Amino acid sequence: MGIDQGVLTAALPRPRVAATRRRRWSLFLLLPVGVVITLGFVLPIALLFVKSFETSLGYGQVTGHLTLSSYITAVTSPLYRTLAVNTLEIGGIGTLLTLLLSFPLAYFIRFRLRRGQNTILLLIMISLFAGYIVKIFAWTTILGSYGLVNTGLERIGLISQPLGFLIFSKLAVLIVVTYLSIPVSVLILTGAMQNVDPGLLENARDLGASGLRTVTSVLVPLVMTGIVGSLAYGFIVISGDYVTPQLVGGTTGQMIGVAISDQFVNVGNEPLGSALSFLMLAVFAVLYFLLTRLEKFKGV
Amino acid sequence: MVRRFRRRLRRRGIGLLHVYVAMLLLFLFLPLAVLILFSFSASGQLRFPITGLSLRWYQEAFGNSSVVSGIVASLEVAVATGIIVTLVGTLAATIVNRHRFRGAGVVTSLMLAPAALPGLVIGVALLNFYGDLHLTLSLATVVVGHVIYTLPYFYLVLSARLKRFDPMLEEAAADMGASGWQRFRRVVAPLISPAVIASAFVVLALSWDEFQVTFFTIGDQSTLPLVIWSRSRLSIDPSVNAIGTLMIAGSLLVVFFTRRFIADSYS
Repeated sequence: MGIDQGVLTAALPRPRVAATRRRRWSLFLLLPVGVVITLGFVLPIALLFVKSFETSLGYGQVTGHLTLSSYITAVTSPLYRTLAVNTLEIGGIGTLLTLLLSFPLAYFIRFRLRRGQNTILLLIMISLFAGYIVKIFAWTTILGSYGLVNTGLERIGLISQPLGFLIFSKLAVLIVVTYLSIPVSVLILTGAMQNVDPGLLENARDLGASGLRTVTSVLVPLVMTGIVGSLAYGFIVISGDYVTPQLVGGTTGQMIGVAISDQFVNVGNEPLGSALSFLMLAVFAVLYFLLTRLEKFKGV
Repeated sequence: MVRRFRRRLRRRGIGLLHVYVAMLLLFLFLPLAVLILFSFSASGQLRFPITGLSLRWYQEAFGNSSVVSGIVASLEVAVATGIIVTLVGTLAATIVNRHRFRGAGVVTSLMLAPAALPGLVIGVALLNFYGDLHLTLSLATVVVGHVIYTLPYFYLVLSARLKRFDPMLEEAAADMGASGWQRFRRVVAPLISPAVIASAFVVLALSWDEFQVTFFTIGDQSTLPLVIWSRSRLSIDPSVNAIGTLMIAGSLLVVFFTRRFIADSYS
């Protein structure tokens, strides 16, 4: 052999060694994110779970005895049952309303606008980022006794006294939470529709399907992931809201999130607050599982 | 005859959709318009119609030390969050997107998990955690919450862009003998930096606006959304309109910087 064996092997790439080294290096570079997630998320959630089995002595004191008493209180107390029903009701209706209101706008942006798509998306981003607490506050000015709606209705003579149920009620919470979740829902749905070829919808129309039929039988099955995403996002954000009920909910529009927040901030019964949190997450998980079944939906 | 009828229906259908879209946009912007309008009202009552214009609520807001310190605190938190998330998130996104390996999936799903939870749960979990550690709540504890809350969005937005990045470019650089650092500095960084900057602005906007996690992790010093909260809880305070308008202006500024990126992600 004229060529030195050693030189030849040295010149050849050594993939396995390189891959192992690269993997070790990659894992090392992922260390920062690992530390951040562990300390800021995984550990706090795990400790919250442990706390839900501890016993409260009041004023934020707990004993290490592990019991199910907080879960039993959470499930059996009529107060939390009422709040849970309220939450499911507002969450369910609000989520569906959000989807129904957002879908036509997403459809319009994707299939009907020839120009100006970005302008309208920019407007939606603006409304999204205008500020959560700011937007809730703004609604109190609109729905209040001397707000835009009541004054307007009085002015045109439809009512003689302000409609009291517009603010500090379940209806007020429903309006505001739906309002708050529309922008993200529109963005999710528009994103899902980007992958749909407009030609498919045109074909359906050419074959004689009505506009509505085209949407329900062709478009909806194609964007089912977006629809499920919008529903899941809406339900989590609306059912977990503890701020809107406090600002516009009055006595009838209260939700479970307010009770959870209270246990930590005012009452000092962390085990009960933790148990309620995990029960809420369990409901989310079950509903999410049911929603993913929906993705198999093939249209009507 | 039938065709003409259908054409007319279709024309009407489009017309209805236009009307609907206009009404929905009105619904989305009406509260903001009302807020901005009332921030210039001369009256102390939030009643329609407004009587007279003035800047008194802005004077009141800026003359109030809690508002000014709220603005400063919000900016501090947003910038600190932005820097941490950008560093940690960029590393994670580039590594996970380029080298598929065991463990990457776990890291990704743990990183994205906070986006699937209500802010309430993240907030109480952190409050409980800090309590167990006997930590004093401060802006630093707020930043931890904001990092956890914004990291999923940063990661998602950046990853979507990195998928379009051609890995051959980096391999070509490697073939030319560039070291790992050289490849990153000369090839990867220039290619991904616009996406990183755009994603960082998303983080700034989310942090500037964040309330649900902040509420549980805040100490004596309030961020701007918390200032608005405490003021709107106590009584009807028209200066909230002025502060709210300032918040909207802040968010607008950020959205303005990211507008080109928005266009890209929907094309």
